[in-house]
Amino acid sequence: MTLADFINLALNGLVEGLLIALPALAVTLVHGLARFPNAATGDVVAAGGFGGYLSFNATGSLLLAGLGGALVGAIVSLASYYLAFKAVMRRSVITLLLTSIGVGFFIRAVMGLSFGHELKMFSLPLTRSLNFDGIMLNPTDATLAGIILAVLAAVFAMLYVAPVGRMMRALADDPDLGRVSGIRNDRVMLIMWSVTGAVCGIAGTVLGMRTVLSPEMGWAMLLPAFAAAVIGGLGNPVGAVAGALLLGVVQELSTPVVGFVYKIALAYVVMLLVLLVRPQGLFNRPQGVR
Amino acid sequence: MNRRKLITLGTAALIACQFGASALAEQGTFKVGSLNPITGAGSPYGSGMLKASQMAVAEVNAAGGAGGANFELLPEDSQTSPQAAVLAAKKLIEVQKVKAIIGTWSSGVSLAVIPITNDANVLLLHTSGAPALSVAPANAKKLGFRFQATNDRFGRAFAEIAKREKFKRPATMAFNNASGIGNTEGFRKSWTASGGTVVANVVYEPNRPSYRSELQEVLRGKPDVIVTGSYLADTTIILREWYQSGQPARWIIPGWAANSDLLKALGPDVTEGIISVESISAENSPSYKSFADRFAKQTKMAAQDNVYAAMTYDQVMVLALAVQAVGPTASADVLAKKVHEIGTPGGTIVNSFAEGKKLLAAGKRVTYNGASSALNFDEFNDVTPDFAASFVEKGKLVRKYVVKL
Repeated sequence: MTLADFINLALNGLVEGLLIALPALAVTLVHGLARFPNAATGDVVAAGGFGGYLSFNATGSLLLAGLGGALVGAIVSLASYYLAFKAVMRRSVITLLLTSIGVGFFIRAVMGLSFGHELKMFSLPLTRSLNFDGIMLNPTDATLAGIILAVLAAVFAMLYVAPVGRMMRALADDPDLGRVSGIRNDRVMLIMWSVTGAVCGIAGTVLGMRTVLSPEMGWAMLLPAFAAAVIGGLGNPVGAVAGALLLGVVQELSTPVVGFVYKIALAYVVMLLVLLVRPQGLFNRPQGVR
Repeated sequence: MNRRKLITLGTAALIACQFGASALAEQGTFKVGSLNPITGAGSPYGSGMLKASQMAVAEVNAAGGAGGANFELLPEDSQTSPQAAVLAAKKLIEVQKVKAIIGTWSSGVSLAVIPITNDANVLLLHTSGAPALSVAPANAKKLGFRFQATNDRFGRAFAEIAKREKFKRPATMAFNNASGIGNTEGFRKSWTASGGTVVANVVYEPNRPSYRSELQEVLRGKPDVIVTGSYLADTTIILREWYQSGQPARWIIPGWAANSDLLKALGPDVTEGIISVESISAENSPSYKSFADRFAKQTKMAAQDNVYAAMTYDQVMVLALAVQAVGPTASADVLAKKVHEIGTPGGTIVNSFAEGKKLLAAGKRVTYNGASSALNFDEFNDVTPDFAASFVEKGKLVRKYVVKL
């Protein structure tokens, strides 16, 4: 193994981490405000992927594909909130978790019925990697990474600059205090579910461009997204993104030692170690201090 | 005899009569469970397989049935999922009392079903590749019959083709399951046995968004050809990333992954020169010709596009010939031995059920020359079909030659 090989592994890890970062962000946003782990996140990602695919085929534009994916993701996410989650919102976390698993199955089944189970691909031109002295950089990956970073920037701007972000963070910190301060919970929920849906939709479109589309594609990325959100501290947006990148890089850099079959297990070992040292996750403050 | 005794005896006689009657009715049909992948990953093949077996059953019944019994086919969908297949197999065995199950596709499904068929003394005739299905515990009772090449034989065919194409530095990449590793291990054994070396072996986990680190490892050995044991989804991603890496290499890929869907997905630039290896039906045998004609007419599908259809057709054929020889009520053990005998050389060659039935009735030993392959069951009840090497030329698969092991 040369240094260039290690750098390549780290770069692959960053790309994989970025692909997980958006769903992890969605998981953490839902958890912050609605207070349950949404197991349907992966399926919203897949639905968004199909939305992006359809709008790409109709228009041939990458930008419109991303917008189409975001739109479909937002619609599916809002529908799942209003049709399923809202009715059980005051129940226990277990009820909500089980509801979300059911919602996920439903979305997957609808996709299977409408699109079939054979694989679909974006017909994008393939590019050769640029070789910098053994370090390989792929222009397509760079573009996709750029899109993901732009989406992350937009979400963080909304959370930390726009007034609605302040309301969201206030509700996430202390729902009761937020409500008595006059924050309209309904409106914040509406915004939160559409934003997370849009984020998932773009994630699905990017993932579909990078790999292949199938109704089951979201399921495979759900666990890594959860793990990333947990490592960063559930409910903490910065933590989710950092957790995803950390998982991706550690996973790929471990391959010379543990091989390719066990790298996934190793990612969970990292998660366990982090939680042993900081049970609240890397970026959350301990509960008591708050 | 008092009245009470008379009533008891009478009732007993009545019950016995009814049992006798139902036993007689049972003798009239030979029930076969058909467990095909109608939905799920095997769905491109499943309905064709079912139609082929229905055709075969109709052929058997048109010839007056086997051993005095009509064949009855009970179809179930395996959903290409071991869980669903196990449920369906239990229903077929426990509720519908089938004597044999045919048509299981994919190693995961067959490996899950075979313990159940073994326990119930039911034959399992399948089209799966995993080497584990040959030996104990899966095939301890020798009630399992394989109509597809083992992954090991696929590997040997890969090695033959790599030799013929004068490759010197092969590497392998396999999906982490029994079938994927079976392919590349079969290749490695056969290749190293004839003195070659393999420059890299990588086994990877499925459903990854990227396989670039895996590719980096394989390409570091500077292979001139990469032999895979993969499925369509991961092959698509791997080939795209390989092309983007810019490093030259050729590919030998099993036909279930290197098919027209792959060509459509990746386009001619990436796929040029890929060698797709698929087991093929016995295309020159009379039974295949007769089967393929009827299959095309009845289903509007080409038999060549679905090698598993010919396999399921043959499954019914050997089963029917064996039932003709030993009778519909024979034990599983006796039936399995007869199936093995009919699928091995030594008897008079027959190409259809009617032909075989006549000879068997005359007390002759017959060997069924199948549509899917000459069968020639080995000691594990595995067949050895021929393999076709097809090369991708300008986005089309062109069959170049046939490899016989």
